[in-house]
Amino acid sequence: MSNAIETRAVQRRMNKAFEIRDLALNVPSGSIYGFLGPNGSGKTTTIRLLLGLLRSSQGSIALLGRSVPADMPHILARTGFVPERPHLYAGLTIGEAVRYHSAFYSAWDAERAESLRRQFRLDPSQRVGRLSKGETGKLLVLLALAQNPDLLVLDEPTDGLDPVVRRDVLSALLDYVSQCGATVFISSHLVHELERFCDWVGVMDDGRLVAEMPMGTFKNGIKRLRVLDGPAVVDDAPFTLLAREPSDGVSAGEIWVVRDWQASMSQYFERVGASLREVVDLDLEEGFVELLRTFRSPNA
Amino acid sequence: MFREILRTQWKWSTIGVVVGAVVAFALPLMTVQGAGTADARWIEVRQLLDDQRSWAQWYPLLALAVGLLVGTSAWTNDHRVRHVYALTLPLPRWRFVLLRYGAGLVLLVAPMLALAVGAGVAASAATVPSGLHAYPVALSIRFALAVVVAYSIFFAISSGTTRTAGYVLSVVGAVVVVQLLFRVSGGSTNLLTAIFDRMVTWPGPFEIFSGRWMLIDV
Amino acid sequence: MFSEVDPRSPTPLYDQIASRIRIAIAAGDLVPGRSLPSVRHLASRLRVNPATVVQAYRALAADGFVEMRQGSGTFVCEVGTGRKESERSAQARQLVRGLLSEAARRGLSAGDVAAAFRAELGSEVE
Repeated sequence: MSNAIETRAVQRRMNKAFEIRDLALNVPSGSIYGFLGPNGSGKTTTIRLLLGLLRSSQGSIALLGRSVPADMPHILARTGFVPERPHLYAGLTIGEAVRYHSAFYSAWDAERAESLRRQFRLDPSQRVGRLSKGETGKLLVLLALAQNPDLLVLDEPTDGLDPVVRRDVLSALLDYVSQCGATVFISSHLVHELERFCDWVGVMDDGRLVAEMPMGTFKNGIKRLRVLDGPAVVDDAPFTLLAREPSDGVSAGEIWVVRDWQASMSQYFERVGASLREVVDLDLEEGFVELLRTFRSPNA
Repeated sequence: MFREILRTQWKWSTIGVVVGAVVAFALPLMTVQGAGTADARWIEVRQLLDDQRSWAQWYPLLALAVGLLVGTSAWTNDHRVRHVYALTLPLPRWRFVLLRYGAGLVLLVAPMLALAVGAGVAASAATVPSGLHAYPVALSIRFALAVVVAYSIFFAISSGTTRTAGYVLSVVGAVVVVQLLFRVSGGSTNLLTAIFDRMVTWPGPFEIFSGRWMLIDV
Repeated sequence: MFSEVDPRSPTPLYDQIASRIRIAIAAGDLVPGRSLPSVRHLASRLRVNPATVVQAYRALAADGFVEMRQGSGTFVCEVGTGRKESERSAQARQLVRGLLSEAARRGLSAGDVAAAFRAELGSEVE
């Protein structure tokens, strides 16, 4: 199976104002797929659809080659889930919670659970309901990883966590992935964090998947150009012009934000009598913002 | 799997089970307080039967209370997290529900057994006047069945979403309100009693709760 | 050398990792025969995709700086002095290129930069 997660034409209306539509996710096996989008774009709803917590009104969803929701128990046995809001029983202690969870998974790795517990400095006698946000986050990741899953679905796992805890959690996650080659589907609006390790990117905006491509393509393709004497109309450029505005501050000219850029395209400017002064790489966050700008305004 | 579900359910239902068991053991003993004298005249027999009748009402109430406590405490923690944890565990929903149900039944053995033991002790300790008999076994069985019925009902209501539970309770509440309105308006139809009668006489589901709960009887 | 990478830099992450190792080898900080951290360890430590680490190690192996041995790990190779020299020179030139283009962005001339070098480094620069 080539895709760990695959959806086709999935649709689900949540309320009058919001619906998920035409959702066609493709998460390659063994990849680390960053699921980006502003708050309210439908990331959590999509994850709930993937895990069978919500039913789609249309379309098909397949996880690890099996159908959702028909084969849910088989899928869930091989999928580690870290939800946005903790879903554990507050009255149990950490030790009891780990023991309870372990009983449901035949592939449970007790050594990994114990080693992560020590690494995360979690006290087994502490009540789950009394844990800090960071400790809860770590516990959720511990439980998901100790299941030895083939697929990890994480919904904003580091949101609201302090930087130290975030590092601990991501290190443990990448350590597991290096060892076991699992597929990771991680949603976040903290773009900078995902930039380090995701090899695929999917971008949600207002219930639709607006972009899905390898991380390299996404980052390298979007550039900011400083152009002098640019033409009034741009209709035959080899690149896609996303935005164009006067350059503020010291430098003269205009700032063009373009997509699908390649170095050889600088010839275009000579051809139209403009002068390309500078090509600036955008980091993932800036690229992401520019991409959303395109989708929100009909004409660039 | 079952062991862990039982373990957590014991943790959540401890009060219902322990207190229920203690009361279930004590109740028969308190029921036979008055039955001390060896030879009794008919007035004391009459007194004894009246005593029995007044104690008898507590048994179905205890069964209801124990069933309620254990049935609802099975699900409170799941409600708090909107069932997300249970729904993302790798087993079908029906199987999970069945395991929880079974765990509750196992826990309920304690109060059921406590009552049986208490009834047995009470029956042998009490001096039963001639012409009357003690029915510890019948009482224990009736209690056990009533506990199971009460537990099943409250378990079922609690297993659904909070919304479903709300619906069920609203329907019950609505019926009560309608009945009150009828009574207030002087209507002769006794809706609640009619429904109630239907349900507590065979073949209604709650028949077990009516009927004779007498430990010592003719 | 295995401390941090900058995902926002235009240099790809694997290249950043490989460069640092190359410099360390050229400077003699990493001796031949020494093993590099495992892919798993480095990926976890730097919080990068393990594929990135593999790519870095492969690039180094292709250049002859390291040797990847199946099952045992990745080891530093013997690198000739000439090789080390050319590597250091390449790194230095890359730095200078970056400096010069940034200077140009700010409107400074090569002469300004050279004067600054002299001032900072004293008599070592000519």
